[in-house]
Amino acid sequence: MTVTGESDETLMGRYGRGDAAAFELLYRRHEMRIWRYLVRNVGNRATADELMQEVWFAVARDAARYEPTARFTSWLFTIAHNRMIDSIRTSRRQLSLETLGYESESVVRQLTADPCSGPLAAAVARDQAGALLHALEQLPVEQREAFLLQVEGDLSVEEIAAITDSSFETTKSRLRYARTKLRELLKEHA
Amino acid sequence: MNEIPPNQDQADEVDNRYRRESALDPSRPSESVRRAVLEHATQLAAERSAKNGPAQIGAARPAANPRWWRPTAFGTLAAAALAGLLIIPRLLAPDAPLVGALPTAPVRPNAASTAASRAEIREQPQDATADVRPSSPPPPEESALQPDERALKPRVSSRNEGTVADSAAEIDAKNAPAKVQSMTNARSTAAGGGSETDARRAQTRGATGISASPPQSTAPTAQSAGSPRQSVAPAASSAAPTAPPARLADSAAEVRRAAEIGAVPELQTLLGQQGDIDARDESGRTALMLATLSGQARAVDLLLAHGADPNAADAQGVTPLQAAIAGDRPAIAAALRRAGAR
Repeated sequence: MTVTGESDETLMGRYGRGDAAAFELLYRRHEMRIWRYLVRNVGNRATADELMQEVWFAVARDAARYEPTARFTSWLFTIAHNRMIDSIRTSRRQLSLETLGYESESVVRQLTADPCSGPLAAAVARDQAGALLHALEQLPVEQREAFLLQVEGDLSVEEIAAITDSSFETTKSRLRYARTKLRELLKEHA
Repeated sequence: MNEIPPNQDQADEVDNRYRRESALDPSRPSESVRRAVLEHATQLAAERSAKNGPAQIGAARPAANPRWWRPTAFGTLAAAALAGLLIIPRLLAPDAPLVGALPTAPVRPNAASTAASRAEIREQPQDATADVRPSSPPPPEESALQPDERALKPRVSSRNEGTVADSAAEIDAKNAPAKVQSMTNARSTAAGGGSETDARRAQTRGATGISASPPQSTAPTAQSAGSPRQSVAPAASSAAPTAPPARLADSAAEVRRAAEIGAVPELQTLLGQQGDIDARDESGRTALMLATLSGQARAVDLLLAHGADPNAADAQGVTPLQAAIAGDRPAIAAALRRAGAR
């Protein structure tokens, strides 16, 4: 439930029957959460914008088939996760770097690096964003995504495991390592 | 996995710091993305509304109902219209007059009365479609005639014996085609009923002995006891519960009959006698109504001159003026209006 008094699932049902206003409510409610999840995973605004549009287009297109068997946020972040993975894989193929693994943080960072931002701009952005966000960039991709899914989507370990197609224990360990790493990085930054 | 898992307080500390710093992050999705997403979603919503909306968003049951009641409503209206087509002619048209079957009865021309008859015909405003029946051969054998024809034929023949009666018969013959043309099937059906009624009347008269004395109001040419005038004269009202005395009833019926056939001299004679000029037949029709229905303008004038009620409606509520208008008889309608008909 939200300030409008209607749950995400209710709004989705309304939009599935043709109520455009319900979709706008949903979009504004979850816009920044999805945006932060995407941009902090891919590290590139343009790519994040592109993914952002793809994700919400998919939500609009599949609304008629949406069944509230799971939370809307879980369904929404599942779409975002899949779009992000597809984008990364497509970029890899285009660059003929298929031998590189999804887990390779450095490669992902290279592929999704914002070309408009140089080292100085990146440094300024880090200072503006804060120490924790700078530390977040240094986390392994799986740990960072698991952490972002939890803090942005308010998802449970089970939901994150389902979205990332991982086991419950693996997901739980990723979350634990992510937070430990963040604390260490914050201590170093301090 | 050598690390000690962070406790809940540590997790909350990291999460809270993340949220604080995220709130300060100016990063936002571009406005073009937001606009594109919302426009796309609105377009899809419109397509869904156009495709499934009316059936899904309310009014599902009301939308199905018109399919149900429309055929019923149209069927009811069609039945009402059909009933109206069948009933209205019955309301507007009188029972078929006795002369309705006259075209089958040949009229024997009488050389002595031809001039007088033609003069009377010229005076009588008739429908333009009326056509004088040409000279015809002698009537066939009575045994070959239908009962209705047997009842009617002698009546015409007897009138041919005298000048006045000849005139009336000739006018009858002249009017007959127009009447037949303007009458509906319902009237034709009623004509058969009327002839049968005449036959019953004749039987009634014979049984009651009325036929022994010819009615005083009859024309001098109608002498024999078996004449059709005598068989027609006694009204069927003799069988009605509130029937007037037989002689008065006979007189009223004679007035109506003379008015209907346009026998003006005879009608004038009858009107000079005591009696109710507005006496009605079984259908509630006065002599004025019958004359109107038959297009007998002179009879109408005569009846009005003798004080006939121009607004005396029949049992169906049809007034003479309405009947004149419905029968396209403007001269009669004008006369009725002048007499105060509404």
